[in-house]
Amino acid sequence: MIYDEPRFRPGGDRFIEMELGDELNFDLNFLVHALTARVREARLDGIVELLPNMASIVISYAPERIGYDDVLREIGALHGSLGSLEDVELPSPLYTFPVLYFDHLTRACWEDYCARIGEKEYDPDLMVRLNALESRAQLARIHSGTEYWVAALGFYPGLASLIALDPRCRLTAPKYNPPRTWTPKGTLGYGGSVTCLYPARTPGGYQIIGHSPVPVFDLEQRLRAFRDRLALLRPGDRVRFVPVGREEYDHVTAQVESGAYEHQVAAYAKFSIRAYHEWLATLDMSVRF
Amino acid sequence: MIEVVKAGLETGVQDFPGRYGFWEQGFPPSGPFDMWSFRLANLLVGNADDAAGLEIQFLGPTLRFESETLIALTGATMAPTLDGVPMPQWESVAVPAGAVLETGFASTGARTYLAVAGGIDTAPVLGSRSTFHMAGVGGMEGHALKDGQRLPLGDRAGAGRPGRRVRADCRPPIPAGKEWRIEVVAGPNDDWIDEAGQHMFLESAWTLQARSNRTGYRLSGPEWTFAARATDKGPEHGEHPSNILDHGYPVGAVNLCGQTPIILVNDGPSAGGFINPFTVPSAAFWKLAQSKPNDVYRFDLVSVADAQAERQRIDALCAEASLEDAG
Repeated sequence: MIYDEPRFRPGGDRFIEMELGDELNFDLNFLVHALTARVREARLDGIVELLPNMASIVISYAPERIGYDDVLREIGALHGSLGSLEDVELPSPLYTFPVLYFDHLTRACWEDYCARIGEKEYDPDLMVRLNALESRAQLARIHSGTEYWVAALGFYPGLASLIALDPRCRLTAPKYNPPRTWTPKGTLGYGGSVTCLYPARTPGGYQIIGHSPVPVFDLEQRLRAFRDRLALLRPGDRVRFVPVGREEYDHVTAQVESGAYEHQVAAYAKFSIRAYHEWLATLDMSVRF
Repeated sequence: MIEVVKAGLETGVQDFPGRYGFWEQGFPPSGPFDMWSFRLANLLVGNADDAAGLEIQFLGPTLRFESETLIALTGATMAPTLDGVPMPQWESVAVPAGAVLETGFASTGARTYLAVAGGIDTAPVLGSRSTFHMAGVGGMEGHALKDGQRLPLGDRAGAGRPGRRVRADCRPPIPAGKEWRIEVVAGPNDDWIDEAGQHMFLESAWTLQARSNRTGYRLSGPEWTFAARATDKGPEHGEHPSNILDHGYPVGAVNLCGQTPIILVNDGPSAGGFINPFTVPSAAFWKLAQSKPNDVYRFDLVSVADAQAERQRIDALCAEASLEDAG
């Protein structure tokens, strides 16, 4: 549900968690980011950082400049002043990532896990079975059949939590238990109802179903898209995955390695929540790709 | 320049207060773990608050100073010597060109801080020189120091002089034993733990596991019990009672992963899918920084206002008035 009134709880002396609801819901997440943007614009003295996530915002504040009660009052008032979100239109760059589904790198990672940690069903097959799909091909079709919304960032620099905007393409996946000790950089993962691209070689818990050679995090800022940033994506951006064959995958890999690769992004794109809701109402929910 | 003759166990460049403004993208604040000791070291050598220094963990480095300078070591006791002669800690010391600083194992405490006049002048990344070594950000090439590296120094601008000392009553009172009392504030997710579970957390002894570092402090102790909210919830929250829909993590959160509480510290993850029933306030971080694996924690519940007052008290001690001339 989305709460009528936000709930605030302290996190020590410098943080407050503001819960706006308690479910995975696009409208709720949109509210989180609309409020985050409003708080940033208000430039309240003493608000240090904001950490928006699925249904909540962690507020970092400087108690010597603003008191706990004043944070609640100021941000509560901004929440109350938001009005209807139907009319909000946000800039929402749309990034396209080529993906080699069921690739050699994630297969080798799964084999290594089975050999060192324990036997486990091959991740794509597990997802096909648990989501009652016909085949791996259908899994790739559904996964790449929707735009994704950057609902949150975090856990690791550049890691974006993506949720499917087409409800017919929502999948679910359990997490690894115990987690993997390593995951190849660029791996496409799925955990719960969230998909992600691993920004670096890190441990991980999501099921792994493909690989993209296009980076989302670049400390060396080699590629043009990273000129003004180390982490590519921002909340409210959108992502699309395009299945490619090995030849195209190798071509893009070489371009990334040479530093010549240009990220595919419609930087001018905007997102209208009213138009999204209108589109949702036209969908035939019985159709699966 | 400073030549790293031996790097020690894990010695990293840090600055105060750390890396701010990029948390939303997953960059944690990093910075010195015991900011109280770190700030006093900068004061002793006449540096600005934000000058970078070294955080020396458990086993210290051997460093050679290529030109004369002024240094100070604070925090854990590490039996430092300068050209073989024992050197005082908590005191500014003149160092001649070519002198070698050797440090040993931390005896009382776990982390020692080295300030050098002018500060360590590695390249800032996202506005800070602090090392976030998990992602290779900041510090010396993104990671802890390595043997043979050379650390650049900034220009000496301050009016620091040798023979200044931190008054004994203005230093963090690092205990010699293994027992610690650590303040905690209830929340943000204390409503996921039932009354018995909250009582259990506050009444039990918790042992610091060896698998603890600047990312998280893992604790061993009794079993947790949960409130209805943790068991009666939507599937998007995850299966285990300690699972919650992904949310942001306060720095200092006591993050409950299954049955293992992990205190998230300076380099911790910014978000994830576990609850945070309690939070260690910033004023208690020096205690975490100065404790060692197998040390034992007991937690004292304090209010937000108490935690903020203690932070103010420590901030006030990180000032010139805490220094005196060494006798």
